[in-house]
Amino acid sequence: MTYGAFKNVWKRELRVMFSRPIYLFSTVIVMGFCCVFFFTLFREGLPERLPIAIVDLDNSAISRRFSRELNATPMTQVVVQCSSYPEARDMMQRGKIYGFIVVPDNFYKDMLSNRRPDISFYVNNSYLIAGTLSYRDMLTMSTLASGAYQREILRARGAGEEAIMGRIQPIMIDSHQIGNPWANYGVYLINVILPGVLQLMIILMTVFSIGIELKNKTSRDWLHSADGSLVTALCGKLLPYTILFVILGLAGNVFLYKFAGFPMNGSFLRYSAATVLFVLAHQAIGIFMIGLFPVLRDAISFGALYGILSFTYAGFTFPIEAMPRLAQGASVLFPIRHYFKIYVNEALLGSSFAHSAIYFAALAAFLLLPFIVYYKLKRALIHQNYPLK
Amino acid sequence: MKKSSQFLKYIHEGIRDLYWVSINEFRHIFADRGVMLIFFVAGLAYPLLYNGIYKNEAVYEIPVAAVDDSHSLESREFLRKFNSAQEVKISNRCLNLEEAQKLFRAQKVHGIVYIPSVYHIKLRNMEQATISIYNDMSSFLYYKGMTMATSYTMLDEMNKIQIERYNAAGITGEQAKMIVEAIPSSNTALFNPGSGFASFLLPALLILIIHQTLFFGIGMLAGTAREENKSHSQIPERLHGKGIYRVVLGKAIAYFVLYIAISAYILGFIPKLFNLPHIGNIWTLFHFIVPFLIATIFFSMSVSVFIKNRETGLIAFLFFTLILLFLSGFSWPQSNMPVFWRYLSYLFPSTHGIQGYIKINSTGANLAQVRFEYVWLWAQAAFYFITASFTLSYIVKREKLVKTEE
Repeated sequence: MTYGAFKNVWKRELRVMFSRPIYLFSTVIVMGFCCVFFFTLFREGLPERLPIAIVDLDNSAISRRFSRELNATPMTQVVVQCSSYPEARDMMQRGKIYGFIVVPDNFYKDMLSNRRPDISFYVNNSYLIAGTLSYRDMLTMSTLASGAYQREILRARGAGEEAIMGRIQPIMIDSHQIGNPWANYGVYLINVILPGVLQLMIILMTVFSIGIELKNKTSRDWLHSADGSLVTALCGKLLPYTILFVILGLAGNVFLYKFAGFPMNGSFLRYSAATVLFVLAHQAIGIFMIGLFPVLRDAISFGALYGILSFTYAGFTFPIEAMPRLAQGASVLFPIRHYFKIYVNEALLGSSFAHSAIYFAALAAFLLLPFIVYYKLKRALIHQNYPLK
Repeated sequence: MKKSSQFLKYIHEGIRDLYWVSINEFRHIFADRGVMLIFFVAGLAYPLLYNGIYKNEAVYEIPVAAVDDSHSLESREFLRKFNSAQEVKISNRCLNLEEAQKLFRAQKVHGIVYIPSVYHIKLRNMEQATISIYNDMSSFLYYKGMTMATSYTMLDEMNKIQIERYNAAGITGEQAKMIVEAIPSSNTALFNPGSGFASFLLPALLILIIHQTLFFGIGMLAGTAREENKSHSQIPERLHGKGIYRVVLGKAIAYFVLYIAISAYILGFIPKLFNLPHIGNIWTLFHFIVPFLIATIFFSMSVSVFIKNRETGLIAFLFFTLILLFLSGFSWPQSNMPVFWRYLSYLFPSTHGIQGYIKINSTGANLAQVRFEYVWLWAQAAFYFITASFTLSYIVKREKLVKTEE
């Protein structure tokens, strides 16, 4: 590889990159937009004041107190009083509320006469997040209400405050959320979604920048400017993108872990090294795809399918081991899976490099992919027999 | 008399042209391998693929490490109950917290339960005892499973202990129960009762698959036409000088006919096959899907003006699939979206399509209950029909200009 040839290709590619808006759009603008979008969308961290309803068939002092106590919980807010169960169910089907609570007729009277009246919660788990969170708050409210009643009785019997707590709640759970202490939904999603978008764009742009030479029948000219060396041609062409995507990836890391205050319990440098490998691995996959299907439209479709599946195979929303056996194995074929493991080790757990080493190695292994298609790609570049339809 | 026969002729010609444009568009679709791949292979295979991957719905038996420093009857009882919860499984019993944390950091376990040495002493002294848990936050399903299992166990143990304590204090039977649980509560998940992950995610994905395959397929057809034929690319030769509406409508009819069939498969057949929620009335669903498809088709035709090549549509807009998914409000609730994003989301057929479909299909809503989405979709259909016509006539004019300059 001579320096002159490399410089030729590099300059040639830069000219192409500035000639059409799609290059700038698919890199800087897409990443910038996604960053702003997900940050502003999840800025609350966890959804606050989810709309719920109360069906108060008793309409007593105590049932009215429930509504006030529900409003005092952080996640829910009673937005409407319904007069019947069907009315509340209708509101739920319309999507106006995510849950409701039914206080039965004669509730207060039954309570005073020790008949232990029931209250019922209903949640809509079609919206799993909103449903789960509103359920949690309704449960808290009812436990507190029960506890308050217990406390009054115990006080009346002359028990001391400490003894009361021991009676009302003999066991307490002290819960630690490792790496995401406030169970922030944004922290949980953004850390994986942004690399996800990055890999999607890297694959598409790599396939596109090589495939367009085939499609426009300029591939011989490209090889020629690299003195006929495919290695020089690929390096000169892809290095501008490598630099661009590495900058985008690292800028994302700096933004998340240095400015936005996302947890980073391990080494920021090691994680950034993984980011560089992550970019390279996906460029290698891009070369592999266009080498395997040396027709731009086919390789793009294949890259799109793979890039979208990557979000599933990171295994962050739905863990890999919960998938069927057959589907589990495929996860090793996605660099984002290994990158996600490194992220968990470094950012969340702060574990030693020994735990991540294998995932670094796996990322590096993807760099071998271009060699498999080396001759096939070179033949395609020289013959230029690109199918029209 | 003359006037009316002219009108009839106009109608007759219009229908003939529409028919001609539709058939012509069908030819384009079936002759193009890329478009066939998107419409049929992606449309038919994606639902199968995602159902296959998510078919287990939930995580069971999450491996958890237990550290029992109390070594007592009470602590063993707690761990036994905890272990019997379906969400978790005690995979390792560790001698100390360090050992458990080592396993945790190696990701061999996704949670730790730690019972301190004073646990049983505090319980016997009728004080408040504490149990610590450590949650793996890499997936919310681990966190959810862990907290569910612990709180069930805790509540169960607590009830038992409380009753014992009141019994010791001379309060027994119904009276003790009365104090321990003055207000019993019952909890019902009215919809998606199993809290399944697939039942939550897939309805949204199915609609998004229809929306996105239509969008990219139409974009690819438009890009190809412009590449192959620089002039009059979007307009068949024989319709020159005639109403642009015939072309827009004619093409739309072709897509619509195709997608009624594909939607029947994706929304009618797939949920039954994989036992996803499908409690909606099939006619309500049909009624709702019609404006959704029309709006999506005209929306895609309007945006396809920006697509100059076959492949650029996928490159530039593929990432937007993810944005559309989150804008739909199926996961982060609509009620908590920043106002700007919420109003922006109203512009896309996918938002109303997903919301309406979840309401009809997963919660059994009728058409009146999804009126908001239904009206929005028809409004979008009308609006995007106009924009599609405008953009098409703009392209035709500009291409003619280019041609005369040449």
